[in-house]
Amino acid sequence: MIELLRDLVRWLTSGSQWSGPDGIATRLLEHLQYSLLATLVAAALALPVGLLIGHTGRGAFLAINLSGFGRALPTVGLVTLVFLASGLSMWPVYVSLVALAVPVIVTNTYAGMAAVDPEVRDAARGQGMRWYQVLFQVELPLALPLIMTGLRLACVQVVATATIAAYVSFGGLGRYVFDGLAQRDLVQVLGGAVLVAVLAIALDLALAEVQRLLFRNRPPRAHAH
Amino acid sequence: MNRRKLLGGLLVGASVPALAACGGGITSLKGDGGSGGSGGGSSAGGLVIGTANFTENQLLGYLYAEALRGAGVKASVRPNLGSREIVIPALQQGDIDLLPEYQGNLLLHFDDKAAQTEAGDLQNALTVALPSGLEALPYAAAEDKDVFCVTSGTARKYGLRSFTDLAARNGELVFGGPAEDKKRVVGLVGLKDRYGVTFKGFKALDASGPLVKGALKKGDVDVANLFSTDPDIEANNWVVLADPKALIPAQHIVPVVRAAKADAKVRKALARLGGALTTRELARLNKLVSNDKKDPDEVAADWAKDHGLAKR
Repeated sequence: MIELLRDLVRWLTSGSQWSGPDGIATRLLEHLQYSLLATLVAAALALPVGLLIGHTGRGAFLAINLSGFGRALPTVGLVTLVFLASGLSMWPVYVSLVALAVPVIVTNTYAGMAAVDPEVRDAARGQGMRWYQVLFQVELPLALPLIMTGLRLACVQVVATATIAAYVSFGGLGRYVFDGLAQRDLVQVLGGAVLVAVLAIALDLALAEVQRLLFRNRPPRAHAH
Repeated sequence: MNRRKLLGGLLVGASVPALAACGGGITSLKGDGGSGGSGGGSSAGGLVIGTANFTENQLLGYLYAEALRGAGVKASVRPNLGSREIVIPALQQGDIDLLPEYQGNLLLHFDDKAAQTEAGDLQNALTVALPSGLEALPYAAAEDKDVFCVTSGTARKYGLRSFTDLAARNGELVFGGPAEDKKRVVGLVGLKDRYGVTFKGFKALDASGPLVKGALKKGDVDVANLFSTDPDIEANNWVVLADPKALIPAQHIVPVVRAAKADAKVRKALARLGGALTTRELARLNKLVSNDKKDPDEVAADWAKDHGLAKR
């Protein structure tokens, strides 16, 4: 056990392990690229949907259940399915990562919007604000903390799951996990897993910091009363 | 007509021990005696056949059972016991008496430095390596090993028939297989060392699964590592590249039996089955079970009946 940990530390800290096309630095960048692109695409798809159903209060049942369905999809199955349809490309990876992230963002955005006090919304309308002014100047700012939480959750899930890129021959930190398992190299498997975990935690903390900076001028609870 | 079929089966059956003898097979000399118990064992109490946890192995277990019953030996099957790490100890402890195995992989289980690749050498090495009380009987014509395949179009376009031809196309082709192929002798390392083959790229996919087969079909990889009993090879007309320098170890199906149970009836029944069972036949039976969702015991019973091996 001790020996394993020692080997792990050596693996993680050796300079040769970090450089080159198979090196940790390359794999880390690939992993970040897959994760961030997938989260951004998911946000672009999910935020408008969440805002719309939150604002109108219509279609919530359908959207929430659809995204629950999306959450229940086994990612590896989806990867294989898209792979068989699209062939060897990044499509299977991005489709399944986006499918993983969209439900979290939709439900959190909707929850944030639904939590806005109806009286505030009425007051805004009563002042003669147009629908888009109500949405962007009143509802969105109030819903933002929950929306940000959704984005953070989605991002962490995507980072942890982006290892599947290696399942269909691509890079990222999953390469170490899959190659290590195939070559019975436990140190490599552990090294890859540790790096994924550290990356996920680091991104989560960074986003938490962004969230804190965004809302530092707010009172502790954003109540409108 | 029935008699001719039976005769054919016998002839093929007879050629397998002969083959083993050509390769220096020691085991084929045993069990040639006509009387029961020449190998020192007795099948009087019947045999329990164990199988590993994958479809083909279960199918083989049921085929063994049919062949034994056809020879008047009682046999029962305990399917899906687990991996080699589980079934071999079960055999040694006498929980099971007979096991369908694969030459190369079985030898590596007992001797991880074994370097033999040809069927006859492997059979001899197995006889030496198996722990006392266990015995490898003559192997079947059928073999489930790693094969490197190309589509018929790729074969024509690049003039590919064997691994040697691949070297003439160094840097032009993409290889697809499970991740371990990158660092394994039965993979890129052996192809480079023994045949001087290098590829344009390597795609880590799965082991004869939907990914690598999908990629081969779509042309995303040119050469794919598949298993020789994969029914999709024949269905798609894929070309299995020849291996003239015997890089890939033979994996003929070999019955491993507790010596105490192996009498002449058992030996002859299994040798006869081994002669009739070719790789192509095994692939076809695999397809019936895994694609057409038939029960392995029924598939085995039908096949044994068709080949004159079942109880008459």
